[in-house]
Amino acid sequence: MKRLAAAVALMALALLGAGCQPAAITDEARDMNDLYNVVLIAAIVVFALVAAALVYAIVRYRRRDDALPPQFHGGGKIEAAMVGVPVLIVIGLFTISMITLVGVDDTAEPDDLTIEVTGFQFSWQFTYNLNDLGEGGGGMDAEAEGAVSVIGTPANEPVLMMPVDEPVEFVLRSSDVIHSFYVRDFLYKLDLFPGRVNAFTVTARETGDFRAQCAELCGLNHALMRFTVRVVERGEFDAWIASEAVRQLGDGARVRAR
Amino acid sequence: MATVAVPHTGYQRPAVLDWITTVDHKKLGILYLYFTLFFFAVGGILALLVRTQLAVADSGFVGNDAYNQIFTMHASAMLFLFIIPVWAGFGNYFVPLQIGAADMAFPRINALSFWLLPPAGILMFAGFVVDGGAADAGWTAYSPLAQQTGVGMDMWILAVILLGASSTIGAANFLVTMLRMRAPGMTMFRMPIFCWTMLVTALLQLLATPVLAAALVMLFIDRNFGGQFFDPNGGGNVVLWQNVFWFYSHPAVYIMILPGMGIVSEVLPVFSRKPLFGYKAFVFATIGIGGLGFSVWAHHMFTTGSVLLPFFGFMTFMIGVPTGVKIFNWLGTLWGGSISFPTPMLFALGFVSMFLIGGINGTFSAAVPVDFALHDTYFVVAHIHYVLFGGSVFAVFAGLYYWFPKIWGRKLNERLGKLHFALMFAGFNLAFFPMHMLGLDGMPRRIAVYAESTGWGALNLVSTLGAFVIAVSMIPFLIAVIWAFTRPQDQPADPWEGNTLEWATSSPPPVHNFDSLPPVRSERPLFDARHGDGAH
Ligand SMILES: [Cu+2]
Repeated sequence: MKRLAAAVALMALALLGAGCQPAAITDEARDMNDLYNVVLIAAIVVFALVAAALVYAIVRYRRRDDALPPQFHGGGKIEAAMVGVPVLIVIGLFTISMITLVGVDDTAEPDDLTIEVTGFQFSWQFTYNLNDLGEGGGGMDAEAEGAVSVIGTPANEPVLMMPVDEPVEFVLRSSDVIHSFYVRDFLYKLDLFPGRVNAFTVTARETGDFRAQCAELCGLNHALMRFTVRVVERGEFDAWIASEAVRQLGDGARVRAR
Repeated sequence: MATVAVPHTGYQRPAVLDWITTVDHKKLGILYLYFTLFFFAVGGILALLVRTQLAVADSGFVGNDAYNQIFTMHASAMLFLFIIPVWAGFGNYFVPLQIGAADMAFPRINALSFWLLPPAGILMFAGFVVDGGAADAGWTAYSPLAQQTGVGMDMWILAVILLGASSTIGAANFLVTMLRMRAPGMTMFRMPIFCWTMLVTALLQLLATPVLAAALVMLFIDRNFGGQFFDPNGGGNVVLWQNVFWFYSHPAVYIMILPGMGIVSEVLPVFSRKPLFGYKAFVFATIGIGGLGFSVWAHHMFTTGSVLLPFFGFMTFMIGVPTGVKIFNWLGTLWGGSISFPTPMLFALGFVSMFLIGGINGTFSAAVPVDFALHDTYFVVAHIHYVLFGGSVFAVFAGLYYWFPKIWGRKLNERLGKLHFALMFAGFNLAFFPMHMLGLDGMPRRIAVYAESTGWGALNLVSTLGAFVIAVSMIPFLIAVIWAFTRPQDQPADPWEGNTLEWATSSPPPVHNFDSLPPVRSERPLFDARHGDGAH
């Protein structure tokens, strides 16, 4: 019995170690990761208890002789518990799921940075409108016109630049089939549909490069629809926008960069 | 050997003609089993191709185009040509025997149900030889991607419609058989638990499959005649396909697992020498799963941004309740029993432990914000395989080892069976447990290649190794089957001390099934006959 308990505890610890999610880099992801950890612990506890009972029963009640064991069919009280215990567990988990869901369902303010994402077979286009660059106008004149775009190919994976520590809205569209915008360290994905617009908002809290890729089968080179999310300080982001504006829109853009 | 009790007439049909024209539920059941196990092998070979491709980073074993066809056809074969019809196979053979009937209610319709399968299988796989190859949009065939691919996709659509027709008329047949043809004394609540799961499965098929057929017809029209049902540019709705597809395909998951639960719930009591713990609770839980199964389809669509998240999240959690009840049923059956471990029992216990994991890792995706991370990753691939392989396939083998003596009058070798189980159990966990970690680490499903820099190589290699161990585990099974067929039919009517009526007749049963039936005064008529009603 003791050995069984020790084995189960050890296995539970191993599962806890193996079951961790990657580092969550946005406010929303951190909340969702907290929820994940609650579900993980509940899952491991339930698994450990049932597995222990199963192993115990198999060892303890193996056939030793021809005597017929008591023919027990079940009973009202224990069957009520069979329903009651799972009901309590799932209602608890559902409730905290909904609390988390409401918490992470952020909507952007009109003056937050918006990044327009268009998925296509088989890469991504990221578009930054110069009059919608968020904090401080991104160093751009308020009347700035035009947009900066990054267009990738399967061989030349695009980089999505975004500033740290401020809400960023992603507006998702598709120009052909369904894709899914999936950034592992956001712990989040949202699908892109032709003829429909989806949007979500996150606030990143860590700088660095984070890998991402399409998560919805979209045809031949689905596996190559990869991109990198690069989270940088606001100043670096502004400088990048300014240089891209000049590169893509010509010298006219220079005057709008304050 | 007791075979045919009817007197021979002068003319004996050739064996082949006899098998082709048979309307005997037992022969049709055997045909179903041969057909479905053949496609289990085909689907398995495709799975090995998938795992070989993914064994290492930046693999070039097969191209992206071939890969999309291979994994699409792997799933299509396993789901539509193996798991769903394999239950019809067991059901065909054992539902009439378990309820003490001489045949199914509509024997000719029964033959039609089976004979729709081979053309469907051929049509679906003929896609590999036509221009553009086999269907390659995933077994989910999401539109508009499914509008882009070649004629193999049309063949796939027509094949699935045929299979749907087969399972719909088969379901009607099972329902009428169980409702109208039970032996005297067999009330609904004395019906064997496998029959109950077949009954609920048949109801699900009858209600859900026509919806899939309608969706497939719309997709076919979209592809070939400019229907624009699912094309937003023509006023169609791109998410509509997902709604109608999952309205069938989520209940279909229960269609694929409930009869397996039924088999396990026959095997555990026999080898624990106790009745099923909480028979009625099990029945109501099965009905509950069937009912709730129709209200959770959109949990496959949480990341579409067009789902009422609280409702579908709640219903998805709720379906965990009847599932949890069943785990208690099985534990309670073992508890206080007198348990022996022949091969069918090992597979049944394998089912319980693996389905336990498949139930628990499913709750992660019920928590909507957690699903935002896990959806469409290998975590979900792990989940479906713990349910459909750790669950359904283990139950298929529990059923095969358990009922082999009844169907063929011979027992499968125990040592080979235990070796089969040990290898399959180890290989299964090796193949599918690492997928949890891969999913958490962000590996999307259905990708043909991944970069070295992702670091997914090691776990994928372990998974591929596990897949090959599963393949190797089939060798002792095949040897056991071939060996058994070289031996005489020496099995008694009831080699396991069974509980239900199929054990009251010879092994194999005569054409008309029963010469006489024992009285049915409980859900275990044979137990009563052995020990007297007093032991109950
Ligand atoms: Cu894509």
